Amino acid sequence: MSEPATSETVVVIDDDYAMRLSCRKILMKMGLRVPTFEDGASGLEGVANWKPDMVVVDLKMPGISGMEVISRVHEIDPQIIIVVITGYAAIDTAVQAMKGGAYDFLPKPFSPDELRLIVNRGLERRRLALESQRHRIERTMVERRFVTFVSHQLRTPLVAIHQYLDVLKHLDETGDTPAGRREWIDRCLTRIEELQNLIADWLTLAKVEGGALYKERIKVDLSRIIPDILKTYQPMALDQNVSLEARLQENCLFVWGDRNCLSVLFDNLITNAIKYNRPGGTVTVSGTVSRGEVVVAVADTGVGIPEKYRPFLFDEFFRVRDEGAKKTPGTGLGLHISKRIVSEMGGTVDVDSEIGSGSTFWVRLPAWRESEEADGSQNDAGRETSTDCR
Amino acid sequence: MSAKVLLIDDDSDFRAAVKSLLEGHGYDVLEASSGHEGLRMVVEHKPDAILLDIMMETTVEGYGVTHSLRYLDEYIEFRHIPIFMVSSIEESPDERFPMSAEVEMIRPDRYLTKPLDIPELLRFLETAVGAAKSSMA
Repeated sequence: MSEPATSETVVVIDDDYAMRLSCRKILMKMGLRVPTFEDGASGLEGVANWKPDMVVVDLKMPGISGMEVISRVHEIDPQIIIVVITGYAAIDTAVQAMKGGAYDFLPKPFSPDELRLIVNRGLERRRLALESQRHRIERTMVERRFVTFVSHQLRTPLVAIHQYLDVLKHLDETGDTPAGRREWIDRCLTRIEELQNLIADWLTLAKVEGGALYKERIKVDLSRIIPDILKTYQPMALDQNVSLEARLQENCLFVWGDRNCLSVLFDNLITNAIKYNRPGGTVTVSGTVSRGEVVVAVADTGVGIPEKYRPFLFDEFFRVRDEGAKKTPGTGLGLHISKRIVSEMGGTVDVDSEIGSGSTFWVRLPAWRESEEADGSQNDAGRETSTDCR
Repeated sequence: MSAKVLLIDDDSDFRAAVKSLLEGHGYDVLEASSGHEGLRMVVEHKPDAILLDIMMETTVEGYGVTHSLRYLDEYIEFRHIPIFMVSSIEESPDERFPMSAEVEMIRPDRYLTKPLDIPELLRFLETAVGAAKSSMA
């Protein structure tokens, strides 16, 4: 079942006052917004203003006919779900209405349950249509980004390597050997590694977006996987003369998620904290639970992030680039991937930073709850489970 | 006196390769890694030619440099310096970017593609610098 949107709107058009009133009562109890109108003309105006998800319209009304209302509503927005109220045993008109674009019909007299059922079905259909539209838009954007990625990100290191080799060849022919020849070979190798990392990160991002990285949704204990990650990067930290510290509360940092995704998420934050640190500095990862959320902070003692860069930190390919200095190492995708994963899990990631002292990345994820069903959907019965750690 | 070429490109490897090449052919090579730095160096050193990367990543910064040198009064004494704009994309930039009318007016002396065709580059530079030198005689 897809998640209900906040305050979906159902417009009711019926010339019968009692009908309008009772539909409104029943549907408002479902948490819906229900503007009502007594004829086709005002109803259409209402649809244009309210931009509803659904319209329930009586087919038999004076003035503009219900059938015309259907086509005019779809002129305004072809995605609006339309349910027609028909007279008893008026199957012909119902069929005609559906051929004209109505989603379903409700013959009078109908019970509140029947109305609720049909509205729920219609809204579900609407949610799915909107979601697939979002996916279509996203797919176009992904294609566009892919083209930029190939034409620019991948090309840049390739061009540098190519230029080095071209010049080497040229100078060879003229009998010269550039003084920095050995260094050039190392630079080419470094740029190749850069290419490989870019491609790997891009594939990870594609997997995250395509849901392929998300293999299974289980109860994961962050106080177990984070120390594992820290252990993996111990050599790298040692190399940079940075110490790693974990302050994770035991037995309560549980989240619903995929182990791979969570590993990638914290991997990126931790390697960044090591890379953008100073010799003798520390990386501290702390984790607690508060108000139904698992909060993990990854703090470094680096130079801090200038205010002007903060809005772009989680953008694709963003790397800090100070005037005159080389671009900071990395693919520029790590933080973007982490943010993507966090969003998919229904959480948030933010950063606090102070120039000269360092930065702290805050990851907040919904805490795993007993009441959640096996298929992963949340069942908010409104109970407050106490998840604060002792 | 050697001719001075200013290289403006944010990729240090590209600069290293081209610098070595040009120095091997008797040029004095200056480097800048950004548009701003590049403009400063033009004023300070008055090069005989400029090799300028489009710098797509920073909102096509390269065009900003060409525009400044060609249109702004403060750079009027540098207006004549030949500019070769370099990018790694084959098609003419006009076809790729929906440019404003203003930007369309910005024309460098030549568009070159990366990696640079070495004999071609050397030929263009020789002509450009030679022409500059003779016009100053």
